Amino acid sequence: MTAAENLTLGKALNTALRRAMERDPKVLIMGEDVGKLGGVFRITDGLQKDFGDDRVIDTPLAESGIIGTAVGLAIRGYRPVCEIQFDGFVYPAYDQIVSQVAKLHYRSQGKVSLPIVIRIPFGGGIGAVEHHSESPEAYFAHTAGLKVVSCANPDDAYWMMQQSIESDDPIIFLEPKRRYWEKGPVNVDSASLPLHASRVARPGTDVTVLAYGPMVRTALDAATAAEEDGRSLEVIDLRTLSPLDMRPVYDSVRRTGRVVVVHEAPGNLGLGAEVAARITEECFYSLEAPVLRVTGFDTPYPAARLEEEYLPDLDRVLDAVDRTFGF
Amino acid sequence: MTRVKEFNLPDLGEGLTEGEILKWLVGEGDTITLNQPIVEVETAKAAVEIPAKWAGKVTRIFHPEGTMVEVGQPIIAIDTDPGAGDLPTPSAASLAAVEVAGDAPVEPGLIGGPAPGGRTAVLVGYGPKTTVAKRRPRAESASAPVQRPPVVPHEPATPPPPPTPEPPPAPAPAAVPRNGAVLAKPPVRKLARDLGVDLVGIEGTGPGGSITRDDVLGAKSAPPAAAPARVPGEREERIPVKGVRKLTAENMVASAFTAPHVTEFLTVDVTRSMKALERLKGMPGWTDVRISPLLMVAKAVLVALRRHPMVNSTWAGDEIVVKRYVNLGIAAATQRGLIVPNIKDAQQLTTRELADAMTALVGTAREGKTPPADMTGGTFTITSVGVFGVDSGTPILPPGESAILAFGAVREQPWVHKGKIKIRQVTTLGLSFDHRVIDGELGSKFLRDVGAFLKDPEGALLAWA
Repeated sequence: MTAAENLTLGKALNTALRRAMERDPKVLIMGEDVGKLGGVFRITDGLQKDFGDDRVIDTPLAESGIIGTAVGLAIRGYRPVCEIQFDGFVYPAYDQIVSQVAKLHYRSQGKVSLPIVIRIPFGGGIGAVEHHSESPEAYFAHTAGLKVVSCANPDDAYWMMQQSIESDDPIIFLEPKRRYWEKGPVNVDSASLPLHASRVARPGTDVTVLAYGPMVRTALDAATAAEEDGRSLEVIDLRTLSPLDMRPVYDSVRRTGRVVVVHEAPGNLGLGAEVAARITEECFYSLEAPVLRVTGFDTPYPAARLEEEYLPDLDRVLDAVDRTFGF
Repeated sequence: MTRVKEFNLPDLGEGLTEGEILKWLVGEGDTITLNQPIVEVETAKAAVEIPAKWAGKVTRIFHPEGTMVEVGQPIIAIDTDPGAGDLPTPSAASLAAVEVAGDAPVEPGLIGGPAPGGRTAVLVGYGPKTTVAKRRPRAESASAPVQRPPVVPHEPATPPPPPTPEPPPAPAPAAVPRNGAVLAKPPVRKLARDLGVDLVGIEGTGPGGSITRDDVLGAKSAPPAAAPARVPGEREERIPVKGVRKLTAENMVASAFTAPHVTEFLTVDVTRSMKALERLKGMPGWTDVRISPLLMVAKAVLVALRRHPMVNSTWAGDEIVVKRYVNLGIAAATQRGLIVPNIKDAQQLTTRELADAMTALVGTAREGKTPPADMTGGTFTITSVGVFGVDSGTPILPPGESAILAFGAVREQPWVHKGKIKIRQVTTLGLSFDHRVIDGELGSKFLRDVGAFLKDPEGALLAWA
């Protein structure tokens, strides 16, 4: 491999999984159709062929069982990477995740670690049916004992997946499924950031736009469009949702005084609410306007033909940017 | 618009990857109508008839019956405008012009490959859009970006904001207190505070009558009319809280609301201590020394602390730190306020050294020259409230200390002495202590020993030292 490859986000994840499996024989992959089929998004394509069906395991359609099995394997020293086929399928496993995965380390006073990665293709934008387009990040970020991250570009996909597998703590890894086919450079020589760090994805001076996962692209598109208006948006990719890395955010807000938080998940009690509260606490005297949120609506995720009305797009981001100048 | 469209084998059920062409219901050259069944396909789940997506003429059938076809592969091509004349001879170029053409390495229709409508094919769903996001047209040019009315939550009916601050005709937004508050956003409030500008009284020209930076700067440069001057005869005076006052307040609040205070009192006959002080003044080497009853109290405390070391301790959350040294704090009223310098390692000092240290300490404090190091690290404090003529008090602990002794005025009082009422010199001691560290028993014993020393210093020294 050369130093900078141009890969799709999905291929970057696939390559990262392959690297992790080559490096550590304790790394296992489990999930529905991850083996023979290679996953419905082909993220595990070719792995069963090369690593065998006792390391890349096609499981029954029972998410609770997938995670429960992973807990047992992790206790015995394996590093399971579980795929939840779609965001809306994770709920049968929710009890295992919050009651066991999140708590065993604490319950055992640190004697037991659970190095489990739970991959969830999340978010909408692929025109899919019910249960296939949800953004459940707040449920997990709210749960102490879980770490939650989301990649937004192929380079982060490649490195954050490997860093997550190397982590001794359980990690919910949210993959922006609508961005699986977007290409970008991947530096396969070295990671540019640790796992739990946010990053300025595009520097700017007037308004700070915070996003993660699929909405980073939307925020960057909005920043490009805002240039026409003579406005300079600083886009920060949060990358880590729990723990949050707020330092670069505070630094940015102290310079811009205006903030827009973007996510697909409904606004009510979403991650944007927590981010807004922290910014208000830390940067009160810098705020020229209240922290505004651009989010999905407080409804169930709509039918596919309506999703473009539901999902934040660059126009809604630009509207919010405008509103920050109205105070 | 392309005339010839290729129809790909669709995903007929969740997760389907391939299907077998069972039977063609149309043939090349047939004219077909929209939704006419064209082919029967058998999947892992069922045999399904697939309807035509477009009306037109079948130009090509890609797979014979009995072949397995992957989802997304083209199965039939339809000329959607057969009346327009003959088609050119099929060539590589015309095949590339079909609607699903794309440059992805994945074949059209396969997962990750191009799908109709500028999307990427997926197993479940129409697929994500591959087109570049574009903004919707805007009403005005980019030079005037803020077209919408400002969002002012409490003022739904305000007109658009500057640059034309034309006051609305009817109820002008009250410039000053509305419900007792002024409207200004946080950075403006901070600017006003930094410049020492009082926001009350400034007329706001911002959205909803809020005060802007320019309003604050204007008020700053304006004659002092904006800033209410302190004129004689005002009924209240406002003194900024800062310096020693602020520090004292913070320390007292921190202590009072974290350490549960208990205070005990002991009234004691100190006539013999006073006489001992007189004798001390006459001793060789003591004639030029300034000594006061406080010296006797300090000595009494040091002797009593040796007998009860727990009193000389700090509550540190999950442990109690018992100090083997005594940094004896002496509360001193100065012009700048209350300060509490302490005498380091007072337990090692002779009485004479203690007297000198106290004199120096108080002198330095009165001059306002106490170095910060002298004001930190105290372990026990004496506050001599008696110099103000009061009898005692319930002092608040300096943070980090577990006990403080108030030494009241020494007064001549009728006192029962050896069975008779006599005029004796009497004082009241008040000991406050931190009940997390010191229980009533220990506090009482300590206070009793301090009192016993002052009542009979020579006896106490003989008995305990």
